[in-house]
Amino acid sequence: MFTQTPAKSVILVLFVGALGLYATLGGYYARELAVEIAILAILALSLDFVAGFGAMVSLCHAAIYAIAAYGFAATSVKLGFPAALAMLFGLGAATLFGLLVGAVASNTSGIFFIMATLAFGQMVYVGLFRTSWLGGDDGLAGVPRVDLSALGVDLNGSLAFAILALAVLVVAYAIAAAVLRSSFGRTLSGIHANEARMRAIGVGTRAHKAIAFAISAALAGLAGILAAQHTQYVSPGMAQWLLSGEVLIVVILGGLGTLIGPLVGAAILVLLRHELGAYTDHWHLVIGLVLIAAVFTGGRGVYGEIGHRLRRRAAVPAPGAPHA
Amino acid sequence: MIWDVGFLSTQLLNAVQYSALLFLLSIGLSIIFGLLHFVNLAHGALYMIGAYVGVSVAAMTGSYWAALLLAPLAVTLVGAVIYFALIKRLRDASPLAQVLVTFGLIFVFLDLVRLIWGDIELGLALPQVLAQQVEVFGAPYPVYRLFVIALGVCVMAALTLILSRSQIGAMIRASVENGPMASCLGINVERLFFAVFCVGCALAGLAGVVAAPIFAASTGMGTAILIPALIVVVIGGLGSLEGAIVGSVLVGFIETIGAVFIPAVSSVLVYAMLAGVLVWRPQGLIPARGRS
Repeated sequence: MFTQTPAKSVILVLFVGALGLYATLGGYYARELAVEIAILAILALSLDFVAGFGAMVSLCHAAIYAIAAYGFAATSVKLGFPAALAMLFGLGAATLFGLLVGAVASNTSGIFFIMATLAFGQMVYVGLFRTSWLGGDDGLAGVPRVDLSALGVDLNGSLAFAILALAVLVVAYAIAAAVLRSSFGRTLSGIHANEARMRAIGVGTRAHKAIAFAISAALAGLAGILAAQHTQYVSPGMAQWLLSGEVLIVVILGGLGTLIGPLVGAAILVLLRHELGAYTDHWHLVIGLVLIAAVFTGGRGVYGEIGHRLRRRAAVPAPGAPHA
Repeated sequence: MIWDVGFLSTQLLNAVQYSALLFLLSIGLSIIFGLLHFVNLAHGALYMIGAYVGVSVAAMTGSYWAALLLAPLAVTLVGAVIYFALIKRLRDASPLAQVLVTFGLIFVFLDLVRLIWGDIELGLALPQVLAQQVEVFGAPYPVYRLFVIALGVCVMAALTLILSRSQIGAMIRASVENGPMASCLGINVERLFFAVFCVGCALAGLAGVVAAPIFAASTGMGTAILIPALIVVVIGGLGSLEGAIVGSVLVGFIETIGAVFIPAVSSVLVYAMLAGVLVWRPQGLIPARGRS
């Protein structure tokens, strides 16, 4: 079950504040890094929303993210939609796809659910790759950023875009947290804990899971639209299952089922990639080993592990205290 | 042109050959899942290692046959190491933990292969006997691809015989159906698991070295073949030999024949079929009996 503890609020403020400060004081490189972290964090928290609170481990979140990115890019570049409408279209396409995957895959559980999502994700990847209207394997270039000049903001500036990305991250987190604290979210947690029992008390678990998956897809869509505007380019590689796997790694490294952990995980992965990437071409080796080690040490992730240690320390009775 | 007999037979043989390769890879994946309830995403990486070791052995000894023999052995050794180091401890873990650890292994193996062999694709030269072509219905066809088909059929026949006729086959079937009961009857299920895992790894290595002359060994080959192999396993039904056969043939034919006749939709067709099977028959077309 999800609770927005004070610790989580503090971490969220510190996280966004630190990245914002880093982007403001740092140069172009720092801002690019901040945007990259924010996009990966949104994607990871959308995955944690279903994997950590609904036991639906998805390997198609990269595909959902790509659908939103393509939905936005194709309608604005090819059809000349205004940006707001194109964004709505991208988000809608991603949400609808999420609802479809959720509806079909909620029939299955465990490893079969993972396989089903993998299949749907690959279907999207191959489809994007083969559709010449969407640029085929070349992708689409020249994707515009949203024009906010009416508000006096030029998003083509790297700092403004970094701040926007961080703002979207906060909004995504707030939406996810609000849904998880609502009765809908509590029911989802109930399904996670015991699906048969929830069915027995009259909850339509399949529809519930499908809707939860659609909400997660909408959040992942936010990340996709940001990514399309950030690089101003979309390609089928965005839908690759290895990227979905990487997002899952981020969730695990940060802490599954914590919602705030994936933010921390995203920062760790992006920084590792850039820092290690500067020394060696083989940083995947390190990520792989870190992931294996993370699972074998309990799989709680950075945030979860710290919380676990603190609780355990708190649970140890003070010397001399009377036994309960 | 399309209805030419020679052209048709070439396409059919290509489909059978791809099915044979898929079978070699997916049978190990399927039986390991059926018996150990373990998802090994690194199976594709083992296939890749088989191809690279095969290329190296062939380069050192100058013999393709030595590569065909030693590559599966080397992969089995790698499999044994990861079994004792990781997989044995994950036996009772959640599917998520299994997926994560074997996903991590993919990354590790990928970079190890890049460190050892580099990033360029490596070819594997064939002996004179296999490098020729023969006429099949008037169209020239490489002997090597016929050899792959024959190899696939031999492995299939051998596995069918072992599983259905031998004592060890009976023990494996019993353990798939009800592990704890088989263990009560005096079967060392743990040792059986290990043996089956090794055979699965050896077959993945065999598939790799067999694929190397056709596709060339590349670092992307493992992750590229993993998806079709997983689809075969899920469509066919986990843990069943017949399922793996049927699944391989279905996927092999749809991908190969579809690419020729209906190129527009062929690539999506396999995934649509998988989605259909998951909706209507989540247990697969021919599931192994028992708990799963």
